[in-house]
Amino acid sequence: MKPLLKVRWATVCVVLAMASSWVGCTRKSNDPPGTLHLALIEKIKGMDPAQADDLYAGNMVHLVYESLYQYHYLKRPYQIVPNLAAALPEISADGKTYTIKIKQGVLFQDDASFKASSCKGRELVADDIVYSLKRLADPKTVSSGWWVLEGKIVGLDDWRAASTKAGTTDYSAPVAGLKAVDRYTVQIQLVQRNYQFIYGLAMPFTGIVPREAVEAYGKEFLNHAVGTGPFKLTEYNPAAKLVFAKNPTYRDETYPSEGEAGDQEKGLLADAGKKLPFADKLVYTIYVESQPQWLTFMKGGLDATSIPKDNYAQAVTPTQGLTDEMKKLGVELHRSPSLDVTHETFNMADPVIGKNKLLRQALSTAYDPVPLLELFYNNRAIAAQGPIPPGLAGYDPAFKSPYRQFSVEKAKELLAKAGYPGGKGLAPIDYATVSSSTSRQMNEYFQKQMAAIGVQVKFNTYSWPEFQAAIKNRKGQMWGFAWGADYPDAENFLQLFYSKNTSPGPNDSNYSNPEFDRLYEKSLTLADSPERTALYVKMAQMVVEDCPWIMGVHRLNYGLTQKWLKNYKYHDIQHGIAKYLRVDPALKK
Amino acid sequence: MLIYLLRRIIGAIPTVLGVALITFLLFNLVGGDPTYQMLGKHATAQQVAELRHEYGFDQPLITQFVDYLRQIVTFDFGRSYATKQQISAMISNGIGPSLTLAIPAFFVTTILAVVIALVVSYFRGRWVDKLGVVVCVVGMSLPSLAFILFGQYILAYQLGWFPISGWDNDFSDRWQYIAMPMLIWVLVSLGYDVRFFRTAILEETGQDYVRTARAKGLAEKVVFFKHVLKNSMVPIVTNVVLEIPLLVLGAFLLEGFFGIPGLGSITIDAVHNSDLPVLKAMTTLTSLLMIFGNLATDVVYTLVDPRVSLK
Repeated sequence: MKPLLKVRWATVCVVLAMASSWVGCTRKSNDPPGTLHLALIEKIKGMDPAQADDLYAGNMVHLVYESLYQYHYLKRPYQIVPNLAAALPEISADGKTYTIKIKQGVLFQDDASFKASSCKGRELVADDIVYSLKRLADPKTVSSGWWVLEGKIVGLDDWRAASTKAGTTDYSAPVAGLKAVDRYTVQIQLVQRNYQFIYGLAMPFTGIVPREAVEAYGKEFLNHAVGTGPFKLTEYNPAAKLVFAKNPTYRDETYPSEGEAGDQEKGLLADAGKKLPFADKLVYTIYVESQPQWLTFMKGGLDATSIPKDNYAQAVTPTQGLTDEMKKLGVELHRSPSLDVTHETFNMADPVIGKNKLLRQALSTAYDPVPLLELFYNNRAIAAQGPIPPGLAGYDPAFKSPYRQFSVEKAKELLAKAGYPGGKGLAPIDYATVSSSTSRQMNEYFQKQMAAIGVQVKFNTYSWPEFQAAIKNRKGQMWGFAWGADYPDAENFLQLFYSKNTSPGPNDSNYSNPEFDRLYEKSLTLADSPERTALYVKMAQMVVEDCPWIMGVHRLNYGLTQKWLKNYKYHDIQHGIAKYLRVDPALKK
Repeated sequence: MLIYLLRRIIGAIPTVLGVALITFLLFNLVGGDPTYQMLGKHATAQQVAELRHEYGFDQPLITQFVDYLRQIVTFDFGRSYATKQQISAMISNGIGPSLTLAIPAFFVTTILAVVIALVVSYFRGRWVDKLGVVVCVVGMSLPSLAFILFGQYILAYQLGWFPISGWDNDFSDRWQYIAMPMLIWVLVSLGYDVRFFRTAILEETGQDYVRTARAKGLAEKVVFFKHVLKNSMVPIVTNVVLEIPLLVLGAFLLEGFFGIPGLGSITIDAVHNSDLPVLKAMTTLTSLLMIFGNLATDVVYTLVDPRVSLK
């Protein structure tokens, strides 16, 4: 026993000595002065573009990989501009053939997988575009981004089906609608005219990857990043931190010289024409809890942050300005509507809910959005009147849904007309929900609102995957959900009501209306125009009238940036915007 | 002893099989289908069917269970459905950070708890003992989250004694990030350990042999440190050794708040995502660690109590 105790005492002495040396130590920083420190609030799934199906993975992927197109950083409404492409595509008269010239001299980052060039990154060519798009279609890739190309390119679905059937993929097998015409030209032939197709070519899913790296790393490709982008991945710890350095072989891309009205005054054009990227190094730290993220920002350790719900009052006044504490720190507040909509979904496949429009309208009218905004969003949202969010063609700020003007009396009247006076004869609504404290609180609120008109609600609580499986299998009569834009076009919201997209597709409400379908299909054949916008407005109003959703809110995005962070402008499709950001080291001191 | 150990290891096989069966049934029958989560919001019926085939979800349950048993034997659980990472890599990457926090924190806690328990037991009934008990009860009553929030806000943000959170792959720079979570670990655990150890020590002081020793006129220090301490080590060692293997599993809350990329969050993330391969791996790992912990406890008994022999 005695020797054991001696060892233990020795251990404690060493440990305490070490502990005393930690206390009071300050964090060393070897970061260059222009280093950007940003937060990631989710662990990412890897660096493979084909798997980048959430905002966070998409952001990281687009730092290293580039797509053919991107969004203009400053202009609103959002505008597609060339990225790897040399120009916007040449589109044939019938709208089906896209000829895309790519920039010459673009290099992949140096990597060990480029054996033929002694690890030096080779030039990106048209074959890389063809390969990357085929790879997204490859069933072996198991990409959740296949929908971007599915049913759109002549022969690609057949190529995928053949791969599935054969159990192996033959990349040399031609696809009629996808070919490299010459070293720098790609031609894509669409099955039918599709004005949304180009958005897919700006998404992280279609980031261009070199075949050598994919084959060299195999299933570990997701832990490597070999792109043409402005940054190079130098440290990859998907559970803690991702570090990027400026890519020394990045092509000449410059900061935009034009923006929207007011950008000049805000200093957003001060760096016009300067070579990108500005930061020598990017450090993304993963914060799964909001307190450390917030305190680190307040201490100056992060250059930008979202505002956690619990710290909202500390940062923003009731009149939507910055608090004195924040003003003293010199931080800047950015407030912008998000391209999203939350909603309570009615399952239109349900024989009770789906067949009774008046019942749905009654429930919608009984659900008061004002306390919802106060209680659950700190008023950081606006009540949705339709499915299209502000900022997109088709959103009408003047439009008020007759079924989102809260009125218990009117709701009772509609309920009686629906055949359930005072809720009599109506079985409790079967509401599917996820097990989280926020969901529970929102459910209680919903239950209370429905009780006011005599409608009972019964909740079935699931884990997130169970919940998804339940709604995709059309179980339950109602559930809450939200949709964020994949691209800035109202079509992305209206496709949620197209009958060919019903569960397990994105049309979770299983809404089906032949007239809506007809208008939707017509809108797909139209370019952005007043005619198409009029169709969007009409479709949105049909949805409001048929009420497959109780419209929830469009969330407002609130963020803070430090005074030394330059060129920040909120961007809904924020993939890869770090290349535009600059830290002013003089202000950071 | 070797035969005893072999017998125990063989005897553990039904336990592992039982755990495997329960885990499999629990997550296959009620854990939810991960297909929709894997495919995202644009899934089509055809993609769902293809993916279910690709991952073998359409195979009979018995086939899937046999495959699971094969994974346990080879300890190759494949890749996570959610992160697509190799599970063995996830575990090996997470063990280091978890242990970097857990081992020093555990040893400091144990040593401090034993010392404090000895002191308060020695002064049983006097103000030192009473103060010790009150402090322990207060410490046990406060949730660990309160310690974390206080530590991050006051000690790190206000006073600047520690970094708020973070991690460094460089071992020499890592300690600054470990210091505060370690301190919190010690504070959170100390109350329970001191109370437990004090009770074990006091139980021994009430034994007949202690009364006899005192009646023989032995000095109180000799009675306490030579006889009482030695005999009270059996329950203390049991408690301590049993905890050691579980240190590998990490501390979810501390790791989450302090940005330590340990194993703590792997299981929680897997539950949220119905990530069956990870759950299977972590459950198997936990049951093996528990079995190993129990076995180690039995072996350590023989070291601290000569009356115990393994047969």
